[in-house]
Amino acid sequence: MLAIKQELEKTKVLASWVKIKQSLSLKVLFTNTFFAFVIVSIVGVIVHNQVSSTFINEKIAISKVETRNALNLAQGHFNIARFQDDAGLKKVVQEFITNSREDGSLSGRETVILPISKFGKNDIYQTVPTLLVLDSIPENFRKNVRASEEVLERRVTIRYSDGTQYPGFLIGGKLDIPRTGIYEIYYLFKLNSQYESIRYITWILIFTGLLIVILIGVSTQFVIRQVVSPVKEAAAVAEKFTNGDLTSRMAVSSQDELASLGNSFNEMAVSIQQQIYRLENLSRLQQRFVSDVSHELRTPLTTIRMAAEVIYQQKHEFDASVSRSSELLINQIDRFELLLSDLLEVSRFDAEAAALNVESFDISNLVRKTVDYLHPSKSQIFEVDIKNEPMMIEADPRRIERILRNLITNAFDHSEGKKVQIKVAESENEVAVSVRDFGLGFSEEESAHLFDRFWRADPSRARTSGGTGLGLSIALEDAKLHQGELLAWGQKNKGAHFVLTLPKRHGTSIQSLPINVIPKDDVSTVVN
Amino acid sequence: MPLVMVVDDDQDLAEMLSIVLTSAGMEVDLVNRGDQVMDIFNQHPPDLVLLDVMLPGIDGVQVCKIIRENSMVPIVMLTAKGDTQDVVLGLEAGADDYMVKPFKPQELVARINTRLRRVARIGSISIGDLVIDQMEHKVLSDNKEIPLTRLEFDLLVALAKEPGRVFTREALLSEVWGYQHAADTRLVNVHVQRLRSKIEVDADNPKYVLTVRGVGYKAGVGKN
Repeated sequence: MLAIKQELEKTKVLASWVKIKQSLSLKVLFTNTFFAFVIVSIVGVIVHNQVSSTFINEKIAISKVETRNALNLAQGHFNIARFQDDAGLKKVVQEFITNSREDGSLSGRETVILPISKFGKNDIYQTVPTLLVLDSIPENFRKNVRASEEVLERRVTIRYSDGTQYPGFLIGGKLDIPRTGIYEIYYLFKLNSQYESIRYITWILIFTGLLIVILIGVSTQFVIRQVVSPVKEAAAVAEKFTNGDLTSRMAVSSQDELASLGNSFNEMAVSIQQQIYRLENLSRLQQRFVSDVSHELRTPLTTIRMAAEVIYQQKHEFDASVSRSSELLINQIDRFELLLSDLLEVSRFDAEAAALNVESFDISNLVRKTVDYLHPSKSQIFEVDIKNEPMMIEADPRRIERILRNLITNAFDHSEGKKVQIKVAESENEVAVSVRDFGLGFSEEESAHLFDRFWRADPSRARTSGGTGLGLSIALEDAKLHQGELLAWGQKNKGAHFVLTLPKRHGTSIQSLPINVIPKDDVSTVVN
Repeated sequence: MPLVMVVDDDQDLAEMLSIVLTSAGMEVDLVNRGDQVMDIFNQHPPDLVLLDVMLPGIDGVQVCKIIRENSMVPIVMLTAKGDTQDVVLGLEAGADDYMVKPFKPQELVARINTRLRRVARIGSISIGDLVIDQMEHKVLSDNKEIPLTRLEFDLLVALAKEPGRVFTREALLSEVWGYQHAADTRLVNVHVQRLRSKIEVDADNPKYVLTVRGVGYKAGVGKN
């Protein structure tokens, strides 16, 4: 848990990623939107490329046709032109260019006529109209045009001397002007309106794409909500069910897959509810049985006890065998009573019907009182180590006293006359009582059965020691009922050490052990 | 000779009880059914009622309530279920003490004798507006008598005769009920509640019997 928490705190990105991974709806939304984005992007790029190349190519194709016509026209124009001198030629050329520009103003065409130096007699006829920068016509393209008889084309950037430049393309050919020589003629077409259209289309594509992605996101969210909210509801119902509300069911209103999920869930809930009710009923029957046995056995036992006591009181009036019999009768009734009450207690634990009557009390005082009560005359063999100040705990005093009685009686019975040490210690949230004897102890093999019902360490001792054989088993159950612990350590012929640890506050659990179950002097078997 | 009414449906147990009680110097009236209790009760008012919880006719807790409506006689319940609701229900219905089956006859006789004992005390004690007349066994508030059971009276006297002393529940069990060893402290709690409901003006905000948290009870001075 801690490691996961630390991981989470590493980066916020990681945290939100984990969030996406944990939430089904976020996961679906994320993947759906992502794939929509990818698809729209691909389609957009393809459409964009297709549209723009169609636009440009069409323009170029039209322009080519236009140029060929213009070239033919120009050639014809110059063939029939009459001019006397260079000035006349210049005028004719200028006229031609002006006309051509006017013709091409619609399509943004520029016309340039350049003399080919090796053919030309002089440079007078070089004409550069408008502000067009001649560098717009690359030198190597001019070379190609000069060398070729064909009309050539190329994509270029058209630059003007005022700094503006446009994407465009260039068509070049040769023009034969009679008596003057061969000129290069170039037509420059600006593609800016095409590119503007393309840019416009690009924006439309981006906008539509984003709109589609957002719409897909929203509709996904909508669908998710339709699917996920019943799932969430199912989770909430399941949680309520887990918390003990066995009547909680999913609402089934439609007939789709989610409805079948709901129906299956509800069927499962009904089946679990029936099982639990059946078990509860069994448990109730068990408790009823315990209570009935209690009443039915206790009433005759009371009569027997009173009758036995009456006989016992007058035992001196009978002969020896009757007198002794009445003693034995009383002893066995005592045993029977103990056994009956222990058995009933055990079956209450089994039926989980044992109830705690929690009070706040001083456990040191209880330990002292219990020792005094059990062995008022044998106090010299008990070494009691308890601080004077009270140690308050919240527990059921009668159950705690029963555990203490059991541990102390056990220790005394098995101490072989050696001393018995009783210690009370506390930590911040726990209180521990330890009982240590130096008598018979138990082996590792025996330790496994220490808390078993009716188990006795030494079968030959069974009848002589007074216990019912249920004492430690009940003590352990009592300790568990308080969320406490009862640990035991022992070694054959070196004694035993039992440590009862209880939380100071009712309802909390044990965090630490104020008294270690292994005595400082030894290392051996530990059982719980 | 004190008269003890034994209410038990188990014939043998009832007979055994009557043998034990008779030999302890008491007179015994045997009743087998819960619904016959009041008839016999009115014919021969007993000094103490020994009442089994499980009875045919009306159950012991009901019988206890009916007796309490008419009489302040000490009631000791016999129950087979020491740790169930029965005990609390019986005490709340007005029983003074209870015995869990099986019990020793000496214990039963001791319990009954404690309840029958009428310690001759003289003089009267007062706390606030309450006057406790020990001779007449009466508690007066503004010259009006408050009907208390003998146990409630003993409990009040125990507290009032040593004003200021804090009694633990164990001390009260020993003083009022005669228990030598730790017993059920619910006995004390329930009877303090019953006593308060009779003598206090506001039982939730007591002035005469005060709770000392975590320790026990003490007598108040009748003022807040």
